[in-house]
Amino acid sequence: MIEVRQLYIQLHDKTLLSGINATLQQGEHLVVVGPNGAGKSTLLKALIGIIDSSGGDIEYRGKALNSYSQRALARLVSYVPQSSGHALPFDVEEFVKMSRYAHHTALSEWQPEDQAAVDDALRITNTEHFRKRQMSTLSGGECQRVMIAAALSQQTPIMLLDEPTSYLDPHHQVEVHQLIARLNQQLGITIIEVSHDINHAGQQGHKVMALADGECLWLGDGDAFLDAQRLRELYRQDFVFVTHPTSGRRMALPDPQ
Amino acid sequence: MTSANKLLLLSLSSLIILALAPFAGLGDIANPALQSQILFDIRLPRTLFAFVAGSGLALCGMVFQAMFHNPLATPFTLGVASGASFGAALTVMLGINLSLLGLDAITLGAFIGALTAISFVYSISRLRYSFSTETLLLTGVATSFFFSSLILFTQYLSDVHDSFRIMRWLMGGLTISGYQQLLQLLPLVALSTGIMLWLSRELNLLMAGDDIAISRGVAVKRVRYLLFFTTSLCVGGIVALCGPIGFVGMMVPHICRLIIGTDHRWLIPATLMFGGGFLILCDTLARLVIAPAELPVGVITTLLGGPFFLWLLIRSRRQLA
Repeated sequence: MIEVRQLYIQLHDKTLLSGINATLQQGEHLVVVGPNGAGKSTLLKALIGIIDSSGGDIEYRGKALNSYSQRALARLVSYVPQSSGHALPFDVEEFVKMSRYAHHTALSEWQPEDQAAVDDALRITNTEHFRKRQMSTLSGGECQRVMIAAALSQQTPIMLLDEPTSYLDPHHQVEVHQLIARLNQQLGITIIEVSHDINHAGQQGHKVMALADGECLWLGDGDAFLDAQRLRELYRQDFVFVTHPTSGRRMALPDPQ
Repeated sequence: MTSANKLLLLSLSSLIILALAPFAGLGDIANPALQSQILFDIRLPRTLFAFVAGSGLALCGMVFQAMFHNPLATPFTLGVASGASFGAALTVMLGINLSLLGLDAITLGAFIGALTAISFVYSISRLRYSFSTETLLLTGVATSFFFSSLILFTQYLSDVHDSFRIMRWLMGGLTISGYQQLLQLLPLVALSTGIMLWLSRELNLLMAGDDIAISRGVAVKRVRYLLFFTTSLCVGGIVALCGPIGFVGMMVPHICRLIIGTDHRWLIPATLMFGGGFLILCDTLARLVIAPAELPVGVITTLLGGPFFLWLLIRSRRQLA
């Protein structure tokens, strides 16, 4: 469904990504990890056409990214940018409604199926009870759920999320992780998510791409990702491993020694 | 109150201003024949022209504010009006006399000047990966200064007659008579308004930032170029006919946004109506303050706009802090 071959991105004479290869099937959940400045956000922005690639191919369903109009692309891929939305001068519902843009032409009327898409998105993200509130009054967790609702209302088979939990407290992190898992497992949405949470990335069922300095260091299954050698190479940091007492999952913790 | 009612109210007040303004100061003239001549040949076309010019300026300001996600960004603060003024002044100095698609040389000169200035400011703002309000405004100020000195240079090289003409025109005034200028400006503003209405959903999404707009399906580059072209044409046309009239494009859309919200499907008609009424009001004031002489309307709008600009600046600073 998504095919990236030898992706190369240069901006202002600086190489941001090079030699990225990946294939993703429908319904998969890829977590992109790596240190700050590794090119994770750049990869997502290239996948949605915000940044143009300087070389290589990105294909959706066998067709090159460039052969899609921006509108057609927005019916296929949605995007949740890194924490933003607080400054937006709209109320929640207005903002989510605006995200139906790609399903409209300049003169088309708002249809019942548009309203249904918006209502569904608000319900699934549990944001419908504050649909009339201004974006600027939302808390971090509420705002992130609205950003996901907006992307969801685009009704795309693929969703890209840039650090959706980075600025949230632990409770809201769990909440957003569970929401994304629901989108993936119940709605079958293919997910590409950038994250700094290596234990979240290393869960069973996830695919993991580890980026460092614009190159792909490792690509594989989540349960094989948590490896001392690999994490040291990736983050220049030692890790120790523990078993979660209730869930029994293997988890990595930074070792300050 | 619903958006429709607010728009209705705004439109009504503007239309009342439009209807009353031609009569302001008319009572001093005793001769009825002269009175009707002044009313129909001078006051009425001038009032209508002020309406169209005010609408155009306000709409261009609104578009800039949306495109740069910044209430301080307008064709004037970003130096686009100075670019247009220079283009027009240069055309006057060189005595160029041609017309294209019904646009005269000065309008064309102003249009090209505006387009040059906006391309310049935009490319500078793109040099850095992200740009702050400060960078944007400073670029605008620098552009303004640059074109202002080019205008001075043009004036210096012109003969006394042209030089005076340029200087008087730079003050921004609506001293027109007859319907010719109105007929010249109306199609430009009408075309621009049409394009903006056509792009109202895109403008809404641009308010949310380029990344969000692109990911929602807006071909941001194409929309931006179209809007650059449209606003340049509109600002160029207005500047060519009545000089740079500052701050209308900053105050009107901002006030309209406070009244009716950010949805451009409502904001565009509101800005159109309020912008027209506002400039008529300022022009009437400019006519009456030191009657029988009159001030250039640009003096009034700038006197109002300066403090407004500072207020916005302090407010946006507080929000950031």
